[in-house]
Amino acid sequence: MSATEILIESILQAVVAGVSLGAIYGLLCVGLAMIFSIMRVINFAQGDFMMLGMYAAYYILIGLGLQPLFGDIVGPYVAIMLVAPILFVFGWAIHRTLIRQVTGIRTAEMEAEGHYAQLILTLGIALVLQNGAMILFGAKLLSVRTPLASDAWVFGPLFGDAILIFLNKARIVAAIASVLIILLLWLAISRTLLGKSLRAAADNPEAATYMGIDVDRAHRIAFGLGTAITAVAGGFLATSYPFHPFVGLEYVIVMYAGVVLGGIGSVIGAFWGGMTIGLVQQLSILVLPQQLQNATIFVVFLIIVILRPQGFFGRVAERT
Amino acid sequence: MDLLRSLIPFFIFAAVYLVIALLVTNSYYQLIITLVLVWASFGLSWNMLSGYTGLISFGHASFFGLGAFATVLAQRYLGISPWFMLPISALIGAGAGLLIGLPTFRLRGHYFALSMLAYPLAFFYTFQWLGYPEVTVPRVLDNPALYMQFSDGRVYTVLALLLLTIIVIVTRMVERSRFGMSLVAIKQNEAAADAAGVNVLAWKLRAIAVSGAIAGAVGAFYAVVILVITPNSAFGMLVSAQALTVAMFGGVGTVWGPIIGAAFLIPIAETLHAELGSYLPGIQGVVYGLAIIVLIIAAPEGVFWKARDLFMRRSDTEREFEDADVVTLPTARRQVTDETVLEVSGVSKSFGGLKAVSDVSFAVKRGEILGIIGPNGAGKTTLFNVLNGFQKPDAGRIVLNGVDITGLKPHQVCLAGAGRTFQIMRPFKRWSVADNVKVGAYARAEDEADAEAIARDAVRRVGLAPLSDRIASTLTTKELRLMELARAVAGKPDLLLLDETLAGLGGDEAKQVVDVVRGLAASGLTIVIIEHTMQAMVQLVDRFVVLDHGELLAEGLPENITRDPKVIEAYLGAKWAAHG
Amino acid sequence: MAEATSLLEVRGLSAGYGDVAVLHDVSIRVPAGAFVAIVGPNGAGKTTLFKTLSGVLPAMGGSITFDGEDFSGVPAHDRPHRGLAHVPEGRQMFASLSVRENLEMGAYTEAGRKAWTDNIEKIYAWLPVLAERADQLAGTLSGGEQQMLAIGRGLASAPKLLMLDEPSMGLAPAIADFVFEKLMEIRRDTGLTILLVEQRVAEALQLADHGYVLETGRVALEGTHETLKADDRIRQAYLGM
Repeated sequence: MSATEILIESILQAVVAGVSLGAIYGLLCVGLAMIFSIMRVINFAQGDFMMLGMYAAYYILIGLGLQPLFGDIVGPYVAIMLVAPILFVFGWAIHRTLIRQVTGIRTAEMEAEGHYAQLILTLGIALVLQNGAMILFGAKLLSVRTPLASDAWVFGPLFGDAILIFLNKARIVAAIASVLIILLLWLAISRTLLGKSLRAAADNPEAATYMGIDVDRAHRIAFGLGTAITAVAGGFLATSYPFHPFVGLEYVIVMYAGVVLGGIGSVIGAFWGGMTIGLVQQLSILVLPQQLQNATIFVVFLIIVILRPQGFFGRVAERT
Repeated sequence: MDLLRSLIPFFIFAAVYLVIALLVTNSYYQLIITLVLVWASFGLSWNMLSGYTGLISFGHASFFGLGAFATVLAQRYLGISPWFMLPISALIGAGAGLLIGLPTFRLRGHYFALSMLAYPLAFFYTFQWLGYPEVTVPRVLDNPALYMQFSDGRVYTVLALLLLTIIVIVTRMVERSRFGMSLVAIKQNEAAADAAGVNVLAWKLRAIAVSGAIAGAVGAFYAVVILVITPNSAFGMLVSAQALTVAMFGGVGTVWGPIIGAAFLIPIAETLHAELGSYLPGIQGVVYGLAIIVLIIAAPEGVFWKARDLFMRRSDTEREFEDADVVTLPTARRQVTDETVLEVSGVSKSFGGLKAVSDVSFAVKRGEILGIIGPNGAGKTTLFNVLNGFQKPDAGRIVLNGVDITGLKPHQVCLAGAGRTFQIMRPFKRWSVADNVKVGAYARAEDEADAEAIARDAVRRVGLAPLSDRIASTLTTKELRLMELARAVAGKPDLLLLDETLAGLGGDEAKQVVDVVRGLAASGLTIVIIEHTMQAMVQLVDRFVVLDHGELLAEGLPENITRDPKVIEAYLGAKWAAHG
Repeated sequence: MAEATSLLEVRGLSAGYGDVAVLHDVSIRVPAGAFVAIVGPNGAGKTTLFKTLSGVLPAMGGSITFDGEDFSGVPAHDRPHRGLAHVPEGRQMFASLSVRENLEMGAYTEAGRKAWTDNIEKIYAWLPVLAERADQLAGTLSGGEQQMLAIGRGLASAPKLLMLDEPSMGLAPAIADFVFEKLMEIRRDTGLTILLVEQRVAEALQLADHGYVLETGRVALEGTHETLKADDRIRQAYLGM
């Protein structure tokens, strides 16, 4: 196998890995964007909602004995899907008890101070969740085990006989499921009355109130949905990557980078943003040491935010 | 001296704290007593940037961690003493502050906070990659004191108290100078500060440099006390969160806040950590998290302000009755000269497809009072924004005193001699009238005393002298308008742009403000005032410029303008004009 | 008109922002089927009044009775469901939604949903420009078109009372006239009760059965078009002489 072939193979391999990981990142980002686009709340604790999704998937799988019920392959995915309603209720409750106090039309007029209160409140929630998870679950590395994680589809040989591309089955399944969920979500937002009322509440909360839309309720639904989506994405990630109580921090910047890249406020843009981050991350491995992978994302994030805070994929920029 | 007097409560606190610290011999409690001071110092560093400018930093661990790592690595590999590294770390922190601030200050609000988060995380992974998962301070056996190592833990407490004292003094000095007041002005209303001649970016950079320096030094000292540094203990999120939490808990924008916050939270968190840490390993984080949550919901401005407000409110209600009224000044005769102060030619400004101002030209003579009127949405405020530099015109030229000011930044326009007030008032609520006005004086003042003198004069000129010590939040709308006027006057402008200064005032109140504005004009100021309605304006202005749909509809003397059919139509509708 | 036919009855209302009252002791009556106009210069409290009526701002004192029901305990988002449609100042489009979706949001109330198929045809007939632009994003409409959409959105809720806040604001005179003509046409066709806030005094008072003049938060004058027109105080309020 020649040097060129090795290079081509590793590039292709990185692209494939990047796209499949990017789809899951996309789903993570969509959860965050959902909350941001509808409520204009930057949820600092989003990474920790993802972490909760990972633990929830793990304990549902173990605790409910889903593996014998659905088999080794389907079981983990059933568990991950069950994460959605649980974390939806969790997000709903967090909004109802805490977030609501510092958001909504009432605080929209507070401008800067209102925003800071949201940011700092979610920082507090993040700290409690991370450290609370440490107390409850311990620091041990866990993963949602599926036999697919150690199985791959092999493509090739390509371009002659040397190049082989491996598609990790767990990642591919997760990527496809992520894309399906986003399609469903997109349909729901654009076609249903509930979806439209959420968008109306996001677009102009005061006018939405004049239409008879309960903006507070719309926010609660959005917060619950966003939490559930990110948590499910976390469940998918947990099938390929081990997790721990502080795992949220590693992904929170991934999420923000994706959302900002996609144009803050755009849910579909966030998916493409997440996809791009996945690709950049996997391609960076070709030239940079593995440990600097995360640092790369932060640098990319900073560059994006500083050069083009309105994002690359989204609609017209936000004003603040 | 004022500064010293303001520090007396702190010195009393420090003395009491020192006595208590010296009495404690248990080495664990000693450590906690020292850490309270360390985190209070770090909280003050955060406060310097975020408390005064209102730009929330989630990334103060950057400066702290750089200081800590620099100090430990310098001793370990180069044999340099922490005594030397402490000031060096401060320099490193300041440098990092400038490097981080320069690009990041382009951002506001959410974006700023999030970007600040990315820096320590990037450092975290970089230091891990560089191979420093854990670095210990080497024990020095000969002359340990030369390397800031002491067997008696109380020495650290004394050093920490010294460090805190220096930081408190620096903070106090900043707070009471134009530096601090400019920062608070930026926090309260960046646009107004800019228009009042405050160079916003320059002050923010100074703030982050000082803040970074403090954090760097505190990080260095922390490393010496703790002896072991990991990327997580230096750059971890909990580090940044701790700075933010102690400052916010105690109260933002005051020296006492971080001290109160640290004194409350650090002992609780540390004790819980020591007692329960082995069963409940994350208990510290939970405590900080809960503290933040409870705080934001119950007392978002912190313990200090909450207590102060409760106290102030009580004393204010007592004062309610001594209603010192605004002094009405005698109106002098005024002279309008032929000299042109402001010349606007062909100015246009569009937003998307909407032409907010299109091809507007007019001139203002020295000593004149010009009224710009027009119905809602006529483009009056946009015109002002273009005049004072908030927005760049798409076309046209603006000449002030013979100097082309087209496209200059607001603080430059202010220095060129044009002051302005705003339709929506944003006073610095907790400050006295005199201090509010002082912010406007900094643009011209030589020093603090000069600023005070200018401010006093401006307050007098608008007739607010009897109220100059009143806290802004207790003023009436009319008094606030006059205070805004005084703030603009304190910038010693030749030209004053007044944005709906009479809006929302009743007949008598409007009359009083009209008298003040006339008085200002009589003293040589040139005034351009925007209003929606003509009612009070007819008595005030020499000449009207009428805008409608962004265009100049009419221009002339008040008596002619109020009879002009075009103007009547714009205001009352075509049908009214027809019945006329 | 008898007390019983009053659709909206405001008594001694005061309201404002924070601690500062903008409205003082305002009383207004809108009989069912009437067209009532409120005029007054900027800062008189017209928009504050509307926001208090639709519940976005809390009332500090006084009472609002709508269709026989005390509104004090009814949250803002429930008021449209009781039949009160507020077409706000500055149009307040859902800029990122299509024209049709904006209208659908107007029909978010149960009454609006029931009457949707019927209503949408009528709305498109009155305001054909909305039918032409049904799939366009509302943010891309011109000012006049946005105002029509705002009115259409209000109508889509099948309201008992349509409250319009300065529909002529920022519009060229010819377009403003067109908007008023449309309003009259709609009123002729439906007999809808309308409460209008306007700065274009002449048009507003000429169209209305009854007018109120608001000045610095108080009702300064009220009466029919003729009585108000004859009163010099309106001219004074606006032109100062």
